[in-house]
Amino acid sequence: MKGAHDLGGKTGFGPINPEQDEPVFHHDWEKRAFALTLAAGFLGQWNLDMSRYARERMDHDSYLASSYYEKWIHGLQTLLVAKGILTEEEIEQRMRQITSDGELD
Amino acid sequence: MSEHRHAHPPKKVEIRVKALESLLVEKGLVDPLALDELVDVYEHRVGPQNGAKVVAKAWCDPAYRDRLLGDATAAIAEFGFKGRQGEDMVALENTPTVHNMVVCTLCSCYPWPVLGLPPVWYKSPPYRARAVSEPRSVLEEFGVRLESHVEVRVWDSTAEVRYLVIPMRPEGTEHFNEIQLASLVTRDSMIGTGIIKPPESVQ
Amino acid sequence: MKALKEKDVWDVLHRGSSARMATHSTAKFVPGSRVRAKSMNHSGHIRLPEFVQGREGVVASDQGAFIFPDEHARGSKRSERLYSVRFEGDELWGNESSQSPTAVFVDLFESYLETA
Repeated sequence: MKGAHDLGGKTGFGPINPEQDEPVFHHDWEKRAFALTLAAGFLGQWNLDMSRYARERMDHDSYLASSYYEKWIHGLQTLLVAKGILTEEEIEQRMRQITSDGELD
Repeated sequence: MSEHRHAHPPKKVEIRVKALESLLVEKGLVDPLALDELVDVYEHRVGPQNGAKVVAKAWCDPAYRDRLLGDATAAIAEFGFKGRQGEDMVALENTPTVHNMVVCTLCSCYPWPVLGLPPVWYKSPPYRARAVSEPRSVLEEFGVRLESHVEVRVWDSTAEVRYLVIPMRPEGTEHFNEIQLASLVTRDSMIGTGIIKPPESVQ
Repeated sequence: MKALKEKDVWDVLHRGSSARMATHSTAKFVPGSRVRAKSMNHSGHIRLPEFVQGREGVVASDQGAFIFPDEHARGSKRSERLYSVRFEGDELWGNESSQSPTAVFVDLFESYLETA
């Protein structure tokens, strides 16, 4: 599919700005997003190409604006819902609950 | 742009990750200790220090270099480095006339068993877009200036083959042993966006 | 469905899961074959970058057969031969961009390619 992911040779992105002494993960949520994606993948309900395709189907602007692990989490949720493992409703409800409990602070 | 994002973590995704984890744990589909272990593997045990050992051995041992160029997957596995995202490896040797660099324009494929997880720049649009179309400008941003006669070969890992660049051994290291050599080998030199400078002691 | 256990993490990562497959088909191209990447734009998953579509290159190596990703993304598994194809910078980006010799090597499945 033609998607924002097909980046080779595209113009207008500016400099690369490599970070010096970059850590493997920048935030705890990135660690969880990474590990959760791998662990859920090992459930055997989808393969790597399905994971890539789930990330590629993000809309153009969101794809380019999202960090790597944001894309992963978007892809993971898409697959979990598509396979009937979780529903959008229970995810949204749990997010509201976490927000109101102030669990993040 | 990405630095800005890192300084201010997106709260919504943080909440989403927590929600997904808690739901999957409740359903017995994810073991939180397994998540800790997955993070620990790539944070502490698998990283560019692995690839550096492979490169240093290739520099010191011509028979190993030949095995690495012939069947990189098997040669790398001699160190016990193998598995996920490195199942089918190819080694690319830099020479005075050929400089190799690796990109994944379609996603962010990267040889995990030898380099660990990729840095942010490798996964970001500027590198993925420009590495194939203007590799020399990209290299200059990394401080690498190649002579004009050097051929730049860019490898786009569009399929399941993963690439490891064997950088050139720096001058003045003839008496270094493998362990000393490995300490000189940088992550970027094995992606092909860096070259290894002679160690300060011999400059 | 069984959750991955902590004690199995290292082994399962170490084992990996190669996409390499056996094949009985004869290779349509050999190293040195002049090929053109097809212009393809189906709506599904595909591993043929736009920047090589319609461009000519030379097969640098036969990488063997792998799971064909376009169909794997839809849940079916078959093998297809994969080639590393060398495209010259001039062919991809025009003469003005070629300050010095550059080439891009792209791993492409057989059905993405035609004889040039």
